Amino acid sequence: MSIEKRLKRLEEITEALKTPTTELQEALTLFEEGVTLSKGIEKELTDIERKVEALVQTDDDTVELTPF
Amino acid sequence: MDTILTITQLTSLVKESLQSQFSGISVEGEVSNFTKAASGHWYFTLKDESSSLSAVMFKQASWKVGFIPKDGDRLIVKGSLSVYAPRGSYQIICESMVASGVGEILLLLEKRRAEFAALGYFDQERKKSLPLYPKTVGVVTSSTGAVIQDIIKTLDRRTQAVNVILLPAIVQGELSPASISAQIEFANRHNLVDILIVGRGGGSLEDLLSFSDQQVIEAIVASDIPIISAVGHESDWALSDYASDVRASTPTAAAEIVSESWLTLQKNIGQVRQSLHLLMQHKLSLLHASARSVNIGRLGELLQQKVEYTSLFSDDLHQRLHQRFDTLLQLRKHSYTLLSSLLESLSPSCVLQRGYAIVTKNKRVISSKHETEVDDILQIHLSDGEIEVTVDHIKEDESEH
Repeated sequence: MSIEKRLKRLEEITEALKTPTTELQEALTLFEEGVTLSKGIEKELTDIERKVEALVQTDDDTVELTPF
Repeated sequence: MDTILTITQLTSLVKESLQSQFSGISVEGEVSNFTKAASGHWYFTLKDESSSLSAVMFKQASWKVGFIPKDGDRLIVKGSLSVYAPRGSYQIICESMVASGVGEILLLLEKRRAEFAALGYFDQERKKSLPLYPKTVGVVTSSTGAVIQDIIKTLDRRTQAVNVILLPAIVQGELSPASISAQIEFANRHNLVDILIVGRGGGSLEDLLSFSDQQVIEAIVASDIPIISAVGHESDWALSDYASDVRASTPTAAAEIVSESWLTLQKNIGQVRQSLHLLMQHKLSLLHASARSVNIGRLGELLQQKVEYTSLFSDDLHQRLHQRFDTLLQLRKHSYTLLSSLLESLSPSCVLQRGYAIVTKNKRVISSKHETEVDDILQIHLSDGEIEVTVDHIKEDESEH
């Protein structure tokens, strides 16, 4: 899932947890989902390493990348 | 007899006349004898094939010029004539200057700008918004210039979340426009990146000219990928700044724009999780409170849930949840076994096996002597069968005597 979608979902979850009518069982499921999502994003942010590549010119209009 | 003037009077008249007639004029010429005084003022001579003109540019004006002229440069200066009385010479006090040829470039750019504007290339409503969390950014620039290095350095400082693809291009000269536009088109054809930064380092107006070229502008306008124009330093500009979706004052600023949301996200994601915890806890305590006002059974249940859920808050959430669930399941299974053996022990057939009997009259179970009379035919049900009997005597209870 894209980061935008995950953040949107996190927002929805937060809203649902704020809503008094959300039932406890549902709230717990949502809470778990939220924790998993936010942990995933945090992990993604700390674990990733940037790739820097340069496009290599090709004659046949294909993409060829090489580390820059 | 004609009035005889002193030299000072004459000089003063000439000064007035020159200054009033030759103020705010522009003049073009070649620089010679350029001197930069310790005071910061510039002294030089402007000349053409047959004439020369002394020129001075005071420090207050010279710091704004952005380059230092040298002998042989062709300049267009703007200023006013003035007389230097002690030497009886006149000179031009320069207020501004541009390298000769720049005027033509500016005219050309202005003409193009108007054309492109008329074609709607700069219209605000055709500008695309940048994706908040770009994963890959393409940079159309020279592979040897400072731009790509500046961008990588800036990103390194801020976030690792953005990958970079360099699309090498020639950034000045005749071949430049075709090279830049080809890379923009290539990126689009292959949907290669989320954002394109198109730029180069600082340079003269002429150096930056390809970023105002029709071919480049049209490639920018046609691009489906959002484009940030990042040409030169703060003060530099090109028409690509108008045609692109976002103008960055420098390549570094472009990298900052691209990584802004990531940076904020990095700062905030921990807080998001914390607020989830708080919201959940709040919800539980609310439920806890309302449970208290409902009934004892419900309260007990909620208390138990609260205890369970609160213990789930620690990091090994899932594991504990499963453990809890298993334990609950085991408990339920256990009580089910107990219950069914209890039920079984209470079943009639089991009772009969232990030597008890059931007596019926006309298929109705009787449990009292008052339900029967002498000569009634009764059935006695035993564990392995039935006996039919006739009542011949009903004993009176002692208490009934």
